[in-house]
Amino acid sequence: MKVIATVVGNYPRPRWFREYLRKVEGLQKDLDVEIEKDVLRRAISEVLDEQRRAGIEIMTDGQLTWHDFLLTIASRLEGFEMDGLVRYFENNLYYRIPIVKDKVRRVGKILHDFEIAFDIERNLKAVLSCYTVTKLSKNEFYKRYDDFLWDLCKSIKEEMKELESMGVRYVQIDEPSLLYVDKSEIELLKDAFRELTDIGSETILMTYFDSAEKIFPEILDFGFDVIGLDFVEGYEENLNIVKEFSFENINVGIVDGRNTKMEDLGDLKEKFERIVSSGNFKKVFISPNTGLEFLPRVKAYEKMQLVSKLKEVIE
Amino acid sequence: MKTTVVGSYPKPKWLLRIVEMYKEGKIDGKVLDEAYKDAVKSVVKDHELAGVDIIWDGEMRREEMTSYFTERIDGFKIYGEVRVWGNAYYPKPSIVGELRYREELAINDFLYLRSVTDKEIKVPVTGAYTIVDWSFNEYYKSKEEAVYALAEVLNKEFRELVKVGANYIQIDEPAIPTHPDEIEVAKNAVETMVKGVNAYFGIHMCYGNYEAIFPDILDFNVDQIDFEFANRRFEDLRLLKEYGYDKDLGFGCIDVHSRRIETVDEVKKAIYMALDVVEPKRLYVDPDCGMKLLPRDVAFEKLKVMVRAVNEVREEIGE
Repeated sequence: MKVIATVVGNYPRPRWFREYLRKVEGLQKDLDVEIEKDVLRRAISEVLDEQRRAGIEIMTDGQLTWHDFLLTIASRLEGFEMDGLVRYFENNLYYRIPIVKDKVRRVGKILHDFEIAFDIERNLKAVLSCYTVTKLSKNEFYKRYDDFLWDLCKSIKEEMKELESMGVRYVQIDEPSLLYVDKSEIELLKDAFRELTDIGSETILMTYFDSAEKIFPEILDFGFDVIGLDFVEGYEENLNIVKEFSFENINVGIVDGRNTKMEDLGDLKEKFERIVSSGNFKKVFISPNTGLEFLPRVKAYEKMQLVSKLKEVIE
Repeated sequence: MKTTVVGSYPKPKWLLRIVEMYKEGKIDGKVLDEAYKDAVKSVVKDHELAGVDIIWDGEMRREEMTSYFTERIDGFKIYGEVRVWGNAYYPKPSIVGELRYREELAINDFLYLRSVTDKEIKVPVTGAYTIVDWSFNEYYKSKEEAVYALAEVLNKEFRELVKVGANYIQIDEPAIPTHPDEIEVAKNAVETMVKGVNAYFGIHMCYGNYEAIFPDILDFNVDQIDFEFANRRFEDLRLLKEYGYDKDLGFGCIDVHSRRIETVDEVKKAIYMALDVVEPKRLYVDPDCGMKLLPRDVAFEKLKVMVRAVNEVREEIGE
């Protein structure tokens, strides 16, 4: 069994970069102004460096310009308009709600910040989302939800193909909304996700904020190479999933990314061993359960260190 | 019918510069304190000129509605700031030990304000449920336990406030409507906060789905509930009617998220809508929320319009 230390996605911005953004973009809702590429590059390389120093093996770009969390993806596609602020799941965080006003189309690169990061660091995974973006947006254009989902799916797939041609090895699809899926949607989703995951890069499904009972066993047919589960919020239920269903590769979200409290390493080890001994895994990614932007920066760093220390003690 | 404010008022630009200079070590605490006092006087003057009946000091000393309190209560620690949205951040506290009363939270502000005005005073303090909801919990086994511990701390502050002459306390709980499933915890916390305190209590809530907290919110042990109505086009008055609202009503009728100054007529129209639900003596007319994000002149104009509207309604109904 191979164990790899990783993170989920977002990371607190360096203070100077935060101040820079505040200066060029202000505090109002009309964000997304052009920011200088070399400034962004400096911020990204700082965040990559921090991950490397903490012992993270597969990193992310930190999503430093993702103002609207996963809904940032919508803001970078044609067809959406960003509107008033809405609460992001059960967090004291808000995003501008994307409203679909026209046919959804990819007119340019979605992950331009990732491209900068990939130029600096190759052990990097790209992060995208599809279903969650449709669920948290307001559709004022499509008569049928299916058409909305498929158009978005096509745009994401285009992006994934471009990532693949750049040589990106890992693409992670974040889908917290899947945990609250209506079972009647599953067939449609299966087709869409099979289309998305039909690609050379390794695809990781990341779920968080809850347990994944609702999507098992159907999710195993979606074509993902790795399935990520949240063992902070949904520990008991997700442990049962691991016992009951068999899959080869897992991302174990085990360090709490939403609380400054530092877990005891011994407790984490015990928990981890209980999880992996309940399944039969070839490859195990370990990470916090969520992105680390919920935490003050100093604690985000300590949480990454905890992930890599956990890797040390379980090997 | 009375006019009041929710709490914050725009800080004078010069005050922000002085606070910055203080942080840079360029001036000492004495100068800063004097600046705060002058700022309060200017807020009081604006409120008096506008003709508001029940006032507060505009929260000149509070940089933020969570950390201002947690910095003064034992058991909290702030590691740094976290993002709320876009480029907006706040210093999110962590509970790292037992929550205990250490020093006054609003008493000095109350006493100073009392010394510079004869107006009635309302003291707003962020409630236990909201402070805990906006903090990390490293110490208590559950959120509930932390909320109750903090409610005890605030209860002590409220008792002290009454001792020095305060008689109207507003508990700010904007987090309540965001977790309707925990409303019982919030309710118990209010019970603890007001226990043995001989004062008039209001609770203020904004930004959230009120539908989800009705009718449970009506059982809270407070004299008044203050809602934002203007931001939601007064649609929520329907809820009050539906559930037979019988407490005093804090009636937010000025939009604090828009720089457009309301007309006297539209505010009057809104007041009549409220009078359709509660009697005049139960009505406290105020802006939706604190006004700190507005430009100072806009805030002042909005207050003037609000008071003018109330005065005209008073005359028309012969109050």
